[in-house]
Amino acid sequence: MSLAVLQGVRKTYRMGEEDVHALAGVDLTFEQNEFTAILGPSGSGKSTLMHILGFMDVPTSGRIQFEGEDVSALSSDRRAWYRSHRVGFIFQSFNLLPRLTVLENATLPLLYRDDFPDAASRDAAAKKALDRVGMSHRLTHRPTELSGGERQRVAIARALVGRPALILADEPTGNLDSRNVDRILQLLGELNREGIAILLVTHDLAVAAHARRIITMRDGCVQEDKRT
Amino acid sequence: MRSGGQANMRLLDRLRPAISNGLRELLASKVRSILSMSGIILGVASLVAMVTVVQGMVGNFRQFVDAMGGIEKITVSKEALPREQQHLADQSEGITLRDVKLLRATVPSVQYVSPEADVGWERVSRDGKEINTVVRGCTSDYLPVARRWVDQGRFLSDLDQLVRADVCVIGSAVAEDLFGANADPLGQTVKVRGRNFVVVGVLNNIESTGVSIRPSGGRSKGGGGGMWRWRNSGVYIPLETALLKFTGNDKLTGLGLRVPSAEALADAVPQITRTLLQSHNGLQDFRVDTNEETLDEFRKTESAFTLSLGGVAAISLFVGGIGIMNVMLASINERIREIGVRKSVGARASDIFLQFLAEAAVIASVGGFIGLAVSAILLAVMNFILSAVVPGGVTAALNPWVMFGGFASSVTIGLLAGVYPAVRAARLDPIEALRHE
Repeated sequence: MSLAVLQGVRKTYRMGEEDVHALAGVDLTFEQNEFTAILGPSGSGKSTLMHILGFMDVPTSGRIQFEGEDVSALSSDRRAWYRSHRVGFIFQSFNLLPRLTVLENATLPLLYRDDFPDAASRDAAAKKALDRVGMSHRLTHRPTELSGGERQRVAIARALVGRPALILADEPTGNLDSRNVDRILQLLGELNREGIAILLVTHDLAVAAHARRIITMRDGCVQEDKRT
Repeated sequence: MRSGGQANMRLLDRLRPAISNGLRELLASKVRSILSMSGIILGVASLVAMVTVVQGMVGNFRQFVDAMGGIEKITVSKEALPREQQHLADQSEGITLRDVKLLRATVPSVQYVSPEADVGWERVSRDGKEINTVVRGCTSDYLPVARRWVDQGRFLSDLDQLVRADVCVIGSAVAEDLFGANADPLGQTVKVRGRNFVVVGVLNNIESTGVSIRPSGGRSKGGGGGMWRWRNSGVYIPLETALLKFTGNDKLTGLGLRVPSAEALADAVPQITRTLLQSHNGLQDFRVDTNEETLDEFRKTESAFTLSLGGVAAISLFVGGIGIMNVMLASINERIREIGVRKSVGARASDIFLQFLAEAAVIASVGGFIGLAVSAILLAVMNFILSAVVPGGVTAALNPWVMFGGFASSVTIGLLAGVYPAVRAARLDPIEALRHE
């Protein structure tokens, strides 16, 4: 069973008088455990594709199957369920909540799940995820007390904590120095080998080179789709 | 399938982090929190203080009406004839014992009729000590009509009337003035207009806590001071003795009547008036009063106070609600990105709604608590000032129900004020929210 199958997916926004086609009919299949990079200039539709795959947005038309289920037109509550159970997000600007500690940031997705009703079970899962990214020595720190690389590792732990099938990374290395870029990409590669599909959105060829499949987007269409 | 119980558990599970998060936000910006709470604090404080004071006034007035004989008392007193009837004055013999018999016979709802004949404002002496007080002739019905009882000895009996005995029952203030605070006046004699009367009883002491609102106010002994002092004075002698030995005729000063309930007044008063008019040959030489008019006056004052003070409190609570709404909107504006992050990790619109509603409720309840504390301080200051103005102690005590009501209204205001900002937060699009700088 494929992780996600997209058939004729379109996304159209209305900007003033004219329609903008962010996605103009996309057919793609993502396998489980795949490490995919999506390349393309801004406005090419790569962010929209990521948002639709990450259950943040719905397509205007087309069909999407996720883990064998038709998810083309889910309610917003149902999409929220997928976001907390099946996918995790990593952002360029980390997006940690500044008032929360490292541990609290990592437990955040579990707050919105039914299967972690008590704080102890949430903390245990979050500690495990932070341990996996090598951040368990900073549990009570605030994000502002961490370096960029450390913040992104906490963000990865937050994406990881719900044991997702897919992690969506939106320019995850854009705000990092080269040493940390390597470290984060290496970590994503390890997670991929542990069985999590990774979708890396970037416009950096060097970053995309870490993926085994590179999809190039242009004007809302797939221009190139090659596996290495 | 999720059962109702489980759904409730889930709500609690969702509320707990929402509330702790609200407290965290509150502590994170203390100055802003205090400012946003100030309206609620003032609103709750004024609401609780005002209701307490109005309640105190009500309680005080109830006391006053009770001291006047209660709402079920009807008073018949002498009245000058209207001008057009003045030439017929000799056609009526005034209020007499005949009226008492007639009223007992014709007005069924009247339980007691107390005929009273005032001897007058007399000098009463004993062993060189003397005081001036009212000397009044009355019968045993005086006690139930005036809602009094004797603390020591007995009241005037029917036998006293029959033999026109020279006995008296005295008020507690008279007892204290003539015999001293702790002496036993029973069996001793007092002198009225040269005639000796044996004291057979002392009336109950009406608390002189004045306008006290204090529920368990201190008992002041001997009827000294306070506005009830006049109720504790007086020398009461058998009516027949007063008529025979002092006034020299059978004219009464007035009557006190008691009906079983306030509802009976409506029928009893016109019946009494008719009976008396008939026996007085149509002459309007009397008037019939009830305490109801006084009570009505008071009720008007009370509702005026409640409306105006309650209005002030309601306005400040309303302003407090606007303050909370304002601060919530500002806070949401600053935290659009946070909302985006929470949504991106799986928060539903209802989770975000609940989070911000809980935050507003937390602000309002903390404000409500502070408001209660402020109201206690406010009342303490008011009591201090009032007791300086009115010696004898004017105190308003905080009623736990009023405090609970004030707190509940602050939480309600907080919830109401939080709905709109929370809805706005819940409706934010996660993608837009994450892009927000």
